Amino acid sequence: MEFKDYYKTLDIARNATADEIKKAFRRLARKYHPDVSKEVDAEQKMKEINEAYTVLSDPEKRAAYDQLERQGFQAGSDFQPPPGWDAGFEFTGQGFSDAQAADFSDFFSQLFRNQMGNGARHAHRMRGEDHHAKIMLDLEDSYHGTTRSLTLRMPKLDNQGRTILVEHTLNVRIPKGVHAGQVIRLAGQGGPGHAGEAPGDLFLEVHFKPHPRYRIENKDIYAALPVAPWEAALGATAKIPVPDGLVDVRIPENSQSGRKLRLKGRGIPAASPGDLYLVLEVVLPSAATEKARKFYQTMAQELAFNPRQNLGV
Amino acid sequence: MLQEIDATVLEDTVLSLDDLARSCRVSREWIIEHVQWGLLPDKNLIETDPNVWIFDSHSFLRIKRIVAIERDFECNPELAGLVADLIEEVESLRTRLRTSELNES
Repeated sequence: MEFKDYYKTLDIARNATADEIKKAFRRLARKYHPDVSKEVDAEQKMKEINEAYTVLSDPEKRAAYDQLERQGFQAGSDFQPPPGWDAGFEFTGQGFSDAQAADFSDFFSQLFRNQMGNGARHAHRMRGEDHHAKIMLDLEDSYHGTTRSLTLRMPKLDNQGRTILVEHTLNVRIPKGVHAGQVIRLAGQGGPGHAGEAPGDLFLEVHFKPHPRYRIENKDIYAALPVAPWEAALGATAKIPVPDGLVDVRIPENSQSGRKLRLKGRGIPAASPGDLYLVLEVVLPSAATEKARKFYQTMAQELAFNPRQNLGV
Repeated sequence: MLQEIDATVLEDTVLSLDDLARSCRVSREWIIEHVQWGLLPDKNLIETDPNVWIFDSHSFLRIKRIVAIERDFECNPELAGLVADLIEEVESLRTRLRTSELNES
């Protein structure tokens, strides 16, 4: 386990005041806010920032952490808390929840594990906490339903009654028809209950991985449908793959690029299903051969066509 | 053998005011106030008894977001609501942008 430099995480000096710590936290929280940040690892960063702030904003935790540093531990060095390292420190400040602890590093949980599971320490009856996370699905999962294997870090009580984090893998059956922005609930998969109470639930916010062919807008799906100029002009029937199989699509005559064909009910198969939109894209054959060039020249001569008529030229 | 469990979509279960408050670690009163201030999507709730309120995925995610913004930045609810509105607007525009870029990819 590596020793973590919380001051570096928040980019502050060792003697930073409480106010400076708060300011640094807010500045970084804005930069790495997962909803708006363009940084690739925003979510992970935000967890680290939260962890550092939880320690440094609490005078007691900060004092205990500072003492470890004075004992010579440095960022990246191998770390095991020395026995009795926290003797003399009374952690009475605001605790943190099991859910937060599950997000934090092993380093943190080693240091402050005696504080974890406040409910257990006070031994009053309390339902387990709900945990929140995100799940990335493929569009196809929504059409067929799927089973996903999830690995979670769950706080658990060890033999001495202390809370430790254990990894726990479960297979989750995801129903067909889920879509982005929906939340799915896994009953009983949150934090453990205390004194015989029920465990909390796990809530997962559904996101889709980007798909090379499809764009997803709520329950509707959009895909490009490439067509030859004569198919667009004369009308045609084309066989094309859609997320749930192959369909024959009728292309109306006199279609232009950008025309949307709606396949009602072929979007995400929710209780009220979405639609599938095929956006026509007229693709020109290349004029690389003499034969093709002749065709284009004939068209130019025979068709009185000015694509810029609307521009008044 | 791994444990297999069924996931249910929030819309197919009932998420009550108490469920939501516990899950987002705020009080019932906190949510009731925020509903009364018009900061949640379902404005019709204001007229009804909080004991019969149920929340969907959108409300759940929005409350979670407002809780986090108010906590991280110690800001007032209206500002958190405004930020949440803007984030939702950006998300919806990004989705539409991706869709309109279909023929350019």
